[in-house]
Amino acid sequence: MSEEDWLRQDRLPHIFCAGCGNGTVINCTLSAVEQIGWKRQETVFVSGIGCSSRAPGYISTDSLHTTHGRALAFATGIKLANPQLNIVVFTGDGDLAAIGGNHFIHACRRNIDLTVVCLNNMIYGMTGGQGSPTTPMGGLSTTTPYGSGEPAFDLCGLATAAGANYVARWTSYHVRELTRAILTGLENPGFSFIESLVQCPTNYGRRNRFKQVADQIEYFKSHTILVEKAARMREKGEMIPPEMILAGEFVRRNRPALGVRP
Amino acid sequence: MRLQIDERRCKGCNLCTLVCPYRIFKPGKRANRRGIVVPELDRPERCANCRLRHLYGRTLCGNCQMICPDQAISWKEDEEPVPKKVAIEY
Repeated sequence: MSEEDWLRQDRLPHIFCAGCGNGTVINCTLSAVEQIGWKRQETVFVSGIGCSSRAPGYISTDSLHTTHGRALAFATGIKLANPQLNIVVFTGDGDLAAIGGNHFIHACRRNIDLTVVCLNNMIYGMTGGQGSPTTPMGGLSTTTPYGSGEPAFDLCGLATAAGANYVARWTSYHVRELTRAILTGLENPGFSFIESLVQCPTNYGRRNRFKQVADQIEYFKSHTILVEKAARMREKGEMIPPEMILAGEFVRRNRPALGVRP
Repeated sequence: MRLQIDERRCKGCNLCTLVCPYRIFKPGKRANRRGIVVPELDRPERCANCRLRHLYGRTLCGNCQMICPDQAISWKEDEEPVPKKVAIEY
């Protein structure tokens, strides 16, 4: 089997805009699922509402397209009803951080055996580019026309503090690293949270000086800094520029997990 | 193996031109029937995956396939050349 067999051929090409990073993350997730060797009958993809949450519709396994923000609640139900199933949750930043924020922290606290892939495009893409909790300071959107005045949500810090077993962040430029992180998340028992920054050329990029798709990818490439390097810089007393994106593996631990197969 | 772009899926975002280490993908010049400018392939036989995949038994570079948001890039096996039957008349 290859990744191509996991896609629903009759649904492609998908409706994501040209250059949207969601397709890249689908590729990475399917590659990781393929490498770990799960069966299609034993895998369930769950999603909420949003651009990112259309992803399971293009994957030929059982999937659940649930209400806004409640993807984790539904996934918890599936896992507890049938612990034999392998569950991957696709969710966006507005879905996970804004509307499903409480579900997210409690899923982390319960440490239920799920893998959550958060496609963070820093905006509400589907509804017309409103500012989301992860819009960076100064980011322009339709609801923040003079630049966002609020600090952005650090989802990885939140998941770490709430007790997730595995937390990592990459971008859609780092395809190999993202695939490896998702694979580690799938293997790891307990709640695995992988945040992936993706480009949104239609609603975020064109308002924030990324006219071409490649511009935002170049930005991710040049403004990412590894967690280990950031820790070394902090030890030396150097300042990390505030616009830098921390990427890498934040935490990997073995807290007792809920819903692990006996 | 042969590198190919599926024109029915490609949306012309040109991300493949950014990541290929051999710069095989070039931004296209002409729009196709759907109005999409599909990237062109510049001597695709240079692709490491085309040349060495069978030798190593795994996908080698594959960055373009992974980053393609539209799942349009793939490799196709070369067709076995069919020996032509020639009837020799004496």
